[in-house]
Amino acid sequence: MITGRGLIDAMESPNEILTELLEIAPFLGRAGVLRAPYDIPMGYFEDFSDILMYRIRFEADGFGEIKSVSSPEEIAEISPLLAELKNKNLYQVPAGYFESLNTDVQLTGVVPLKLSAIPQSVKTKKISIPMRIVRYAAAACIVGMIGITTFNLTHHKVLDPINGLTTVSDQDMANYLDVDDVHWTTDNPSDLQTSTVDLSDNDIHDLLSSVPDVELEQYSLLLPEQKPSVN
Amino acid sequence: MAEQRTDTELLALFREPATKEKAFTEIVKKYQERLYWHIRRMLVDHEDSNDVMQNVFIRVWNALSGFREDAQLYTWLYRIATNECLTFIEQQKKKATTSLSDVESGLSNKIRADKDFDAKKLEWKLQLAIQQLPEKQRVVFSLRYYDDMPYEEMSRVLDTSAGALKASYHHAAKKIEDFILNH
Repeated sequence: MITGRGLIDAMESPNEILTELLEIAPFLGRAGVLRAPYDIPMGYFEDFSDILMYRIRFEADGFGEIKSVSSPEEIAEISPLLAELKNKNLYQVPAGYFESLNTDVQLTGVVPLKLSAIPQSVKTKKISIPMRIVRYAAAACIVGMIGITTFNLTHHKVLDPINGLTTVSDQDMANYLDVDDVHWTTDNPSDLQTSTVDLSDNDIHDLLSSVPDVELEQYSLLLPEQKPSVN
Repeated sequence: MAEQRTDTELLALFREPATKEKAFTEIVKKYQERLYWHIRRMLVDHEDSNDVMQNVFIRVWNALSGFREDAQLYTWLYRIATNECLTFIEQQKKKATTSLSDVESGLSNKIRADKDFDAKKLEWKLQLAIQQLPEKQRVVFSLRYYDDMPYEEMSRVLDTSAGALKASYHHAAKKIEDFILNH
């Protein structure tokens, strides 16, 4: 039978626990009982039973007398303020928006799909393939792939495109360019706009202002004929 | 401050429909801190611990009317809490499709990620050391070291003989001391 004694006096004395610990692990025993250094949110234990009872009353099935309440009733019970705000919409739509919506959709050619147009059931045919055949098919695929790879490696030399081009005569190359209408330039200057940036002297000055003079000098030595002009 | 009711009194009140919720709330308030810390030391993370705490007490709510009074109420509560913790860890393992050792290293990482973590402080080293133990040994160490639970009560919580639990606790304490001294 339960005795009714409390939790604390049912437990062993901490001194006994420490004495035992000193015998097993002296270092740990001498340190005393070190409490877990974790934090918990403020007021957690004060609120826990309320939150728990709320969950028990309202949340899941099987907890005795659970009332079936509608959403407005529920929110009114939890928070009358939120219940009052429930039907107040901050957002507005242009006058006649919803009336014109159906017409707009039809004008753009997108006809709303009627539910009645959806077939209620689609007959499907179930095909069963014996597992043994699936295994054979998989094995055949693997053998096929190995065979094709081996054939390609032994019968086809991989051509180097650059070396290949050295054997093409100039005439053939010219014919190819004429026949295939290959263009190397564009008549439309706007096509090149993305690759052209006009920079003024001030822009260049701004861009190079953070570059140390020593680096600019080193750069100018590398390009003796194109000295950067920075004022 | 009103004197706390005994478990026997609370159970009698729980059986009366008029006082059922009040009695249950008192039981929750009486045991919540002990159970929370037992769970938290196992799971490290507060949010996980809170979820498990709620599940524990919902189980208690459902089963308390059938509770046989041949055991201590707190033993029964610890048993439910321990089982819920182990179930939670098992679910984490399945979700992550990882091994138990990955889950344990995940718990160690959670300890290291705590905003107050200080690797030099003994109490943090102790938490890391506890996470190195197999989960059953972790429970045994926690129940004895932190909750001062006698081996006889522990054997009711864990369905294991008191002798085996004593051996397990000794083994765990030695391993923890080795970890602390070598890290």
